[in-house]
Amino acid sequence: MAEITFWLLALFTIASAVIVVTSRQLIYSAVALLFSFIGVAGLYIYLWADFIGVVQIMIYIGGITILILFGIMLTNKITSVRISHTSVQRRIAAGGLTVLLGLLITMIIKTPWYLVAASEPTQTVESIGKMLLIDYLLPFEVVSILLLGALIGAATLARRGR
Amino acid sequence: MTNLTSLNYLQPELILTATILLMIVVDLFYSAKKSRRIGLWALAGLVLAFIYITVSGFNIPTALFLGSISSDPFGIFFKVLILLATIMTILVSFSERDLSNQRVGEYYILLVIVTLGLFFMVSATDLIMVYLSIEVVSIMSFVLAGYLRGNRRSSEASLKYVIYGAFSSGIMLFGLSILFGLTGSTNFFDIRTGLMELQNGADLALMLSTVLIFAGLGYKISAVPFHYWTPDVYEGAPTSITAFLSVAPKAAGMALIIRFFNSILGGEGVFTELEWGTFSAIPWTQLLAVLAAVTMTVGNLIALRQTSVKRMLAYSSIAHAGYMMMALPVLSQQGVYGIMIYAVFYLLMNLGAFYVVMIIANATGQEDYDQFRGLGHKAPLLAILMTLFMFSLTGIPPTAGFIGKFYLFAAVIKAGPSFYWLAIIGALNSVISLYYYMYVVKTMFFTQEKTSITQIEFKGISILVIVLAIPTLIFGIYWTPIADIVHKSLAIFIR
Repeated sequence: MAEITFWLLALFTIASAVIVVTSRQLIYSAVALLFSFIGVAGLYIYLWADFIGVVQIMIYIGGITILILFGIMLTNKITSVRISHTSVQRRIAAGGLTVLLGLLITMIIKTPWYLVAASEPTQTVESIGKMLLIDYLLPFEVVSILLLGALIGAATLARRGR
Repeated sequence: MTNLTSLNYLQPELILTATILLMIVVDLFYSAKKSRRIGLWALAGLVLAFIYITVSGFNIPTALFLGSISSDPFGIFFKVLILLATIMTILVSFSERDLSNQRVGEYYILLVIVTLGLFFMVSATDLIMVYLSIEVVSIMSFVLAGYLRGNRRSSEASLKYVIYGAFSSGIMLFGLSILFGLTGSTNFFDIRTGLMELQNGADLALMLSTVLIFAGLGYKISAVPFHYWTPDVYEGAPTSITAFLSVAPKAAGMALIIRFFNSILGGEGVFTELEWGTFSAIPWTQLLAVLAAVTMTVGNLIALRQTSVKRMLAYSSIAHAGYMMMALPVLSQQGVYGIMIYAVFYLLMNLGAFYVVMIIANATGQEDYDQFRGLGHKAPLLAILMTLFMFSLTGIPPTAGFIGKFYLFAAVIKAGPSFYWLAIIGALNSVISLYYYMYVVKTMFFTQEKTSITQIEFKGISILVIVLAIPTLIFGIYWTPIADIVHKSLAIFIR
């Protein structure tokens, strides 16, 4: 049963992602992206990472995709423009990517991964909070600098005139 | 060391953070015209951090923040280099013409944030810190490269930088996740222990993850084949930022590569007592050697055909990354020593060359070879200084560039006959580079005047060029002080 859930979620995510890159209408791509994110959120929840799953839904689905949709809709005439998916040298790329895919699949099957005995966790938020403020305190603080800088940078680029 | 006691070793970073916050507040009180005064605040903070680092000197290598970063002479050495590059960048930014007609408060704020990111990059010992510090540096650089509003080339530079940056950090993240999947840890040293226990069972995964991670790190030092962003970004960005990007993130990237490989795969100390043999199924060293050879050859060959001096310097900086990478695969303390010495001299000569280009660009608005025609007659001093930098970049004695290259080649040759081919390719590349560097000299001295420069004003940036030229010449003759400092800073944290 659990296996089937996983494969369904994975199929859902990948199928949506394929539509994102192949659709000729930008708005379709954006909506398909929404579904791809939902699939990823499902995978997180399937892996008992409930907190990350909720964050995924809130930030990626509730925030980023909606922002992209607004960006598309508020841009003048963008919906009528046919976005061309011109790509060159498809054969070479296909060859290279097939090799890479083969390598990755071989790696996933053959490698003795680091496994943790599966047990249903009761609380993930608490342990995440402890890790953020004890083990990963410095990265947590550096993220705030990163976000501050990104905010300043975005405001600078978006500023009108001089 | 616990989180609280670690703060004792974090003062330079704290000074920079305080400077950033102070600058944001102070910027509110300046009008657009006066906003360049923010640069003075930045300068004050950076100089304070510089003084703090130099006065407190080297400490015993220590792990900070439960292993997130480490504090050691190796990191401090690169921090000093980065601070020097940033201070120079702020000084020249005051007289950059392209920046003169816009609000520049944020420009200086972002520059200090980049410096902070570079600080964490050279001291990171945890995969999460590696990724975060690279992101801090990259995202701020995207904005800085596109800072010239209304300038198409600058916007193009920024966009290309974003696309390549996002792509390469995505690839790197994939590599990091494989490493985590193998060992269940993000700490360099725990990863090393985990890999030792795996024996050779995970060769393919290890190989793939290292290649993917190198895509991210190689992007930062613009190693071939991750270099495609370099020329366009370097050409479009404000020249002061180009000069900065060609030096500081490259030095930090080199430091991160050395620390990463040394901590995860190396033995005790800096590339000594190698345990790389444990993973002998993977041809690490050959892979790195080939990358180094390709990087310098591609950089040099494309540099031959450029018409813009700024673009030529962009490609030549790729080649110089290749020279530095040449000393990585030999896995010796001497190799790291060569890289560190080269980083110092490269900082001096490359910043100098870019600043001469900037003087020309400020005066004429262009940076083509044409603008350099007859410069030797119009502005002899400037032309002579440029010649000095060109000699040094080629590696002709008696300049600092020669000493730097000497140490690099010595390390490669000492590694034994299996690396002779790399040294030969390096030497051939130096000859190729001689052509295009000397072409600049020829254009300046042996062609008809065409430059529209009437008078070079002897102020600000010109003084800085002289300040860079003097050590470029002196260290070519007497480099013992630098060699001593580098020797002392070879201590790297190891657990």
